[in-house]
Amino acid sequence: MEANQSHNLDEKILRVIAELSLVRLADIKPTDRLREDLGMDSVASMELLSALAEEFDLEVEMEEAMAITTVDGVMEMAKKRLLAA
Amino acid sequence: MSTLVLGAGGFLGLNIVDALVAAGSTPRCGRRVRSNVIPLRSRKLPMVVADLEQPETLREAMRDTKTVVHAAGYYPRLSLDYEGAIRIGRTQLENVLDAAAASGVERVVYVSSTATIAPRADGSASTEADGFASVPGFGLYHDLKWTMESIALAEQRLEVVIACPGACIGPWDLRVGTSALVVGIARGVNPPHPDGIVNIVDARDVGQLVAKMALSTTSVPKRVLMAAHNRQVHPMLESLAKRYGVAPPSAPLRADEAKALAFSEESRAAECGGRPAVSREIVDLIVHGAPVDASLATQALGARFRSWTETLDAFDDWARRMRLIPEQPGYWSTEHGSESITQP
Repeated sequence: MEANQSHNLDEKILRVIAELSLVRLADIKPTDRLREDLGMDSVASMELLSALAEEFDLEVEMEEAMAITTVDGVMEMAKKRLLAA
Repeated sequence: MSTLVLGAGGFLGLNIVDALVAAGSTPRCGRRVRSNVIPLRSRKLPMVVADLEQPETLREAMRDTKTVVHAAGYYPRLSLDYEGAIRIGRTQLENVLDAAAASGVERVVYVSSTATIAPRADGSASTEADGFASVPGFGLYHDLKWTMESIALAEQRLEVVIACPGACIGPWDLRVGTSALVVGIARGVNPPHPDGIVNIVDARDVGQLVAKMALSTTSVPKRVLMAAHNRQVHPMLESLAKRYGVAPPSAPLRADEAKALAFSEESRAAECGGRPAVSREIVDLIVHGAPVDASLATQALGARFRSWTETLDAFDDWARRMRLIPEQPGYWSTEHGSESITQP
């Protein structure tokens, strides 16, 4: 994945996170934890990953989704899946 | 003509979908726009938006549908807004039944609860014949389920049959609902609880029975209880604590203490987020729990309920894969190191 593609993907992911977490896009950091820092409960976290899976047509398994706890983790998962596609 | 499952991505919905597929059917899976559909996507089944608050989506979703399985009955997370919850539950079910009638649906299988089964005065096991003559008045959960089931029973425009599952344990309880006490013990948390009887059933058994009610080409009973084991809660938690090698649970709370704690915990959760250490719904289900006799499910639908051990082993295996139960009670490893567990 090229650098500008990766950057665009990060932007899109952050936009979805901002929409579902109600935290301003500019305030979201890669190291943020979905629950503790962005106030997302387990249901909202799953909805986020589900929304990303639909947006980017990613094949995500629940086991993998349940292990993701940070914004960084979300981005890594999405990139890994897109590269594998 | 196909089967539509409302609430297909939820706990019971996924078990029902799996049972329908195993029976050779390809159900259409009703979903809300914003919901977790990861498990449904991996099943490669057709999905359709069916929002219980938007009748036009229900009518569209029910086009060319012979049978609707309604596994999305309203279930408030907290019991603080009684009037609001009753209003939502009533409206949503009326929307489903109106859409089904307008779309030519022949049968609705409505998934209700053993909370609508009245206890017997002599303490013997209740059956489908034991209903409350009027609203139970135990608390929101019982009253809501009774109100909704009354609407379903009164439906005349199409056939409505009702499944009444007990406390379901099994895979896909991602929100940790009825399995909260099991997960709490397995995590080494001492869950506050009252004592009383719960009617345990494996969610996979419920899925199979609901699928049979949906696919049967002959008549099925109007109301079917689905519960395999009548268990006293506190001794059950003690045996779970032994299984997981954790300290035994504290003594059960009195009913009034448990209700007061649930109110305080729910109020805190409403204000600060998170989930209550104990919910009013769980308290009421335990305090007002009574033994039930689900032999009609065996006679009419060929139910073969799994043993408690089989249910627990399967749930444990799934919950570990989903990281709901840690490798070691009290702690688990994360990408950031070891984290202490506080509550489910």
